[in-house]
Amino acid sequence: MDLVQKEHDRLLKKLRTSQGINNVQATIDMLQSARDTIAADPNQAAIALTRLQNPVKASFNAINDSLKETHGGLNKYTKSLDKLFKDRPLPSTEHDVLSEQEHLINRAIAMHLLREGQFSVAATFLSEIAEKKDLMHNPASPSSSASPESSSSLLNLDEVPSPEIRKEFASMYYILSQLKERKNLLPAIEWSRENREALEARGSNLEFELCRLQFVWLYHGESDMSGGNHVPGNWRAAMAYAKREFHTFLPRYIREVQQLMGAMAFCPNLHGSPYSAIFNNTSAWDDVAQFFTREFCSLLGLSADSPLYIAATAGAIALPTLLKLQTIMKAKRTEWTSENELPVEIPLPPSYLFHSIFVCPVSKEQATDENPPMMMPCGHVIAEESLKRLSKGSRFKCPYCPNESHMKDARKVFL
Amino acid sequence: MAAELTSIKLNPESHLILDQPLLRLPHELARRNFKTVQRVVEREKEYVLPALRDAANASLSNTQTPDQTLAALDAMISRMQGLKRKMQSLQEEEKKIQMQSRKRIQHLEALYKIPSLADVKYDQWSRVRLDRLLVDHLLRSGYSESAKQLAQERDIEDLVDLDVFTQCQQVVESLHRGETKEALQWCGENKAALKKSQHNLEFELRLQQYIEMVRTQDPSKKIDAINHARKYLVSNQEPDSKEIQRAAGMLVFAQDTRAEPYKTFFSHERWKFLSDLFIQTHHELLSLPSQPLLHIALSAGLSALKTPLCHSAYTSSSSNSQSTTTSVCPICSTELNELARRMPYAHHSKSYVEGDPIVLPNGRVYGKARLLDISKNNGSVESGKVKDPTTGDVFDESEMKKVYIM
Repeated sequence: MDLVQKEHDRLLKKLRTSQGINNVQATIDMLQSARDTIAADPNQAAIALTRLQNPVKASFNAINDSLKETHGGLNKYTKSLDKLFKDRPLPSTEHDVLSEQEHLINRAIAMHLLREGQFSVAATFLSEIAEKKDLMHNPASPSSSASPESSSSLLNLDEVPSPEIRKEFASMYYILSQLKERKNLLPAIEWSRENREALEARGSNLEFELCRLQFVWLYHGESDMSGGNHVPGNWRAAMAYAKREFHTFLPRYIREVQQLMGAMAFCPNLHGSPYSAIFNNTSAWDDVAQFFTREFCSLLGLSADSPLYIAATAGAIALPTLLKLQTIMKAKRTEWTSENELPVEIPLPPSYLFHSIFVCPVSKEQATDENPPMMMPCGHVIAEESLKRLSKGSRFKCPYCPNESHMKDARKVFL
Repeated sequence: MAAELTSIKLNPESHLILDQPLLRLPHELARRNFKTVQRVVEREKEYVLPALRDAANASLSNTQTPDQTLAALDAMISRMQGLKRKMQSLQEEEKKIQMQSRKRIQHLEALYKIPSLADVKYDQWSRVRLDRLLVDHLLRSGYSESAKQLAQERDIEDLVDLDVFTQCQQVVESLHRGETKEALQWCGENKAALKKSQHNLEFELRLQQYIEMVRTQDPSKKIDAINHARKYLVSNQEPDSKEIQRAAGMLVFAQDTRAEPYKTFFSHERWKFLSDLFIQTHHELLSLPSQPLLHIALSAGLSALKTPLCHSAYTSSSSNSQSTTTSVCPICSTELNELARRMPYAHHSKSYVEGDPIVLPNGRVYGKARLLDISKNNGSVESGKVKDPTTGDVFDESEMKKVYIM
């Protein structure tokens, strides 16, 4: 990469100092002055023109020289690029499965745009999709004829996110921007109240987290405004808020509420109190925003981070390994035998592992619906096929402990 | 956690696989630009030097009036001025291209300064990359407006090739309308480079013009067609080649013929073939991959992330929409689920489960600490009980059973 950078710098420098145009100008000047001479005295014509021959030729040569130099620079840069990308051709998948599923990709993109808050881009994209569709269905009519009805009915197709999803994302984006930019928690709290039941079923304490942060914010609120003097914060407002709202949390979050109340006793110098961590958590806002996004998307059955982003990034991480595999397979002329499974392990960062993974310790195969993990009474788990092979219908010993059991004692587990 | 399973090492060299076209494309443009400069200089040189010599000789031998000499000089001056203007505009173009290259190099350089895949900076970098891939995909699929808007909003206009694709799209659209003019013009501009190409785009375009003339069945048009074929088709191919023979044979068929290959010749599908051929030739010439980079990245990524659980009939105990501590798996998420259905899943050689796994009487496996935590936070669960976050079943804490997963 350094080499590329260096060669490119050189190229740029050459471009800046290029004399080509100056040489052209010089030639023009020479021709012009000769013309003036001849116009003034036609008898000088022969001499003036003869004199002109060599300098004009020379200046063309100079132009060509400077071009040659540029050419050299370009070639060197080409070489540095070749070197950088040597042995790294773009992977060629002869059979591009994805291009047959264009509409699914488009849907993923549209949802990604909505999720990222790019509402206007998403709108343009959806209307362009509709326009293209229109064009495909009746190629005779020009694209502008996409009537509002047809485009709105198109949006209901499963190809593009439904209006409900779009509305949900719009409200998520609104809540998040209020939260992040204006430190306004109220829309988020309101949302968590509306969805209290669903959240509780998940065992989520989002609502409490939000309210606690609101309490902290109220406490800090006024002192932040008055320019950093550390006189007691607006504890009255905080307490009033607590009285009004916290009773709903009381049975469950009694300890946390007690902490908040206890903290008020230290009011003027909360910094020195055991509770200072709650009140001076710098990442609290980011954490809560992330927490909120995760819960919001989970309730929609969607992943918290854009799947498109995760998948594309994982792809970029996986590509070198896959490419190596491709070269090796080509060299050895082997075929990839396991049709449903990649033949190599791809190391991804831990945050890219989402599901639990069960690999049977006996057969080394990953569990699937057809070959699920089975737990023997001793608590050891192996895949069903391995279990069948081991037991052969009679009692058998667990491969990992002395315990003996029967096939029918084993139970399917869900990871 | 097994060391082989995960890695946060970032190897920038191999990470740049997807980014080759990012630098290649502007470079191809720069080279093309340079060749144009070379050509115009050469052309003027070929004109001015002999003209000057002739003028000198003529005035030496007194066969020219002074006015004629002056006129010859004026012609030379105006040509040189034309050359200067052309060179200036080409130089401007070149500067633009190189500044763009510079920005791109800087963007890639940034990757070398990122210590690991877990770094926040990598996250930001990768998001810019995704935006680039999206714009590339949108442009290739013909959604130019969306692409433009996205590039503007994300401020990555220097990192994507809006102009190149827009021009390409214009030609493609003209072909869809049944016009060959713009495509032929493009061929003319890239004549030198096209010689190396294995596709004979120009021949196919000329052949199409010929076909359109024959299609009319008008005798005078047919004469035109024969002349056209003499001028453009024969010069391009061996005169006895199959194509030429077929083209000649076409003259006796009408467009509703069922005889092959003439039926294919007259077919409107041929325009689609031409536009595909144009795209293919165009991308090849500019070192652009034939499929969108997004597809390459996604197909690798979907497989790397996919597990057998993603399309399982049973709800997974981990990363489903019900569990709180983990977020929904991206492959299980609506956006990608269908897309990933036909992809192979990732290979793993070791199990990976939450720490201290326990099994509930219904067969579901959870990390003990997480399960206790969820149950504690859930107001409706009494103490001493645990609630299965997937099914909602409530069990006694004593019913949790240790499970051994190796």
